[in-house]
Amino acid sequence: MRAVLKYTALTLFAIPWVLVPIWLVVVNSFKPAGEAAELGLGLPRTWAIAENYGIVLDRGGYLTGLVNSLKVTVPIVVAVVFLGAAAAWAFGRSRSRWLQAAYFVMGLSILLPPSIIPTVYLLRALSLDGGSLGYVLAMTGCRLGIVIFLATGFVRAFPRDLEDAAAIDGASRPQVFVRILLPLLRPVLFVGGVILIINVWNDFFFALFLLQGSANATLPLSLFQFASGTLQSLNWNLVFAHVLLTTLPLVAVYVVAQKRVLAGLTEGALKG
Amino acid sequence: MVMRNRAAWLPWALPSIVLVTVFFLAPFLLNVRFAFSSWTSFRAEITWNGLENFRTLIDQDLLANAVTVTVLYAILCMAIQNTVSLSLALALQRTSRINTVFRSAFFLPTLISPLAAGYIWRGLLAPDGAVNSFLGIEWAWLGEPSTALAVVAFIDAWKWSGLITLVYIAGLNSIPKSLLESATVDGAGPWTRFRRVVFPMLAPALTFNVAVTLVGALSAYDVIAATTGGGPGDHTRALNVVMRQQWGQGFFGSASALGFTVTLLVIATAVPLVWWLRRREVAG
Repeated sequence: MRAVLKYTALTLFAIPWVLVPIWLVVVNSFKPAGEAAELGLGLPRTWAIAENYGIVLDRGGYLTGLVNSLKVTVPIVVAVVFLGAAAAWAFGRSRSRWLQAAYFVMGLSILLPPSIIPTVYLLRALSLDGGSLGYVLAMTGCRLGIVIFLATGFVRAFPRDLEDAAAIDGASRPQVFVRILLPLLRPVLFVGGVILIINVWNDFFFALFLLQGSANATLPLSLFQFASGTLQSLNWNLVFAHVLLTTLPLVAVYVVAQKRVLAGLTEGALKG
Repeated sequence: MVMRNRAAWLPWALPSIVLVTVFFLAPFLLNVRFAFSSWTSFRAEITWNGLENFRTLIDQDLLANAVTVTVLYAILCMAIQNTVSLSLALALQRTSRINTVFRSAFFLPTLISPLAAGYIWRGLLAPDGAVNSFLGIEWAWLGEPSTALAVVAFIDAWKWSGLITLVYIAGLNSIPKSLLESATVDGAGPWTRFRRVVFPMLAPALTFNVAVTLVGALSAYDVIAATTGGGPGDHTRALNVVMRQQWGQGFFGSASALGFTVTLLVIATAVPLVWWLRRREVAG
């Protein structure tokens, strides 16, 4: 009886919290502009799926945005995960005072917000402003800290016997890293990677300052430009079509990896 | 043995150290300088000008309001997010098939970008939108000074609640079952068990979540950009919103001063909070 009550309450909460927002986006992205302007939850009286999505793909810069988002997300995630794991190994094992000081700076970079304006200044000085490469470097530098911090805790909690034994058997350091460290760190790197993907894919603030011109625009930027382009009154059908297409790649990945994502986040996040 | 050789560790950490130094630490230090410098699009030369940027922002009635808005936003966002997430975590703590379905559903908003979340709720909360027609009222949630800030903070909280729920579930599941059982044997009811056992044991997760949500919300920008743009009037004009405006108008020094203010707020919030919660954690 209590379980029935609990799940009824949860369902009643999930309807406005999850279901209605998603439904609003989906159903209104199928309507013509005038009908979508009513922002109702009913089914479309006239269907305009092909027109709406056609316009978003054509004028909304969606495909360019998709390519650009992939072009920055993949390198950032790969760089943060692998460079972070390598650094965590060093920070976890070395007793050098210099490295411990560096580790403290990594910790600071988690807590303190990135200084965006000097970053623009710096990238300009390096002639890297406005493009993907500068954005990737800046984002990597600001996101490494959290992965290093989580992974270093993991390394420290783990005895070094395995690594020593492998070294005695003649394994080189890179071999020890690939065969022992990476498998050991897999849970924490997975969790870090998931949060990072969500974070980078959805980043708007950094992109707004660091990426110039629609040729470099990632999906959030192209969504914003598209929505702001019709500022007088939003074309809700088109905005929602863009929102749906922008969110879809992440949702698709999530549906496939759902079990591991949830399990990883509930079990691996706070350990170490 | 090779593995004990100290110098040999450096190459492993070096790429990360270089990237964090150049792209986090250097901008951070430069910001301290720029915040106290005259630097505009009209005069590219950057010269020390003391507190002039802050004085200008205060004279224009921008700074005090932005700080108030940002702090209120952060507190509201943190409160909503942690209340919802902790409640959901308590309800969905046990790993069963049905709970997994609910966890998975409540995680969905986390995948949506804050910008998109802003557009979605702007649609739901429009004067003639679904929320008002359900409640049978007509209210411009985002257009009225009395509700705009709370609603924007709510949208931000909505976006992140799924992730925070999972961190709370991890925290709840790390509480030893024996502790709860012995409390039950001693005659503690559900509320007493929550207050005396669960809540103190949840301290690490609570520390993490309160700090993360507060600090994150101090950098608020995306949701505001998608919904109110800072309005009505200046009621949702948080520090980063003013920063972007100053930057857009070519006042780079003032913009840096606003960025520096965010950093100061983060330090002022995070340091005592982490210290206090850590102490409670040990005492609890």
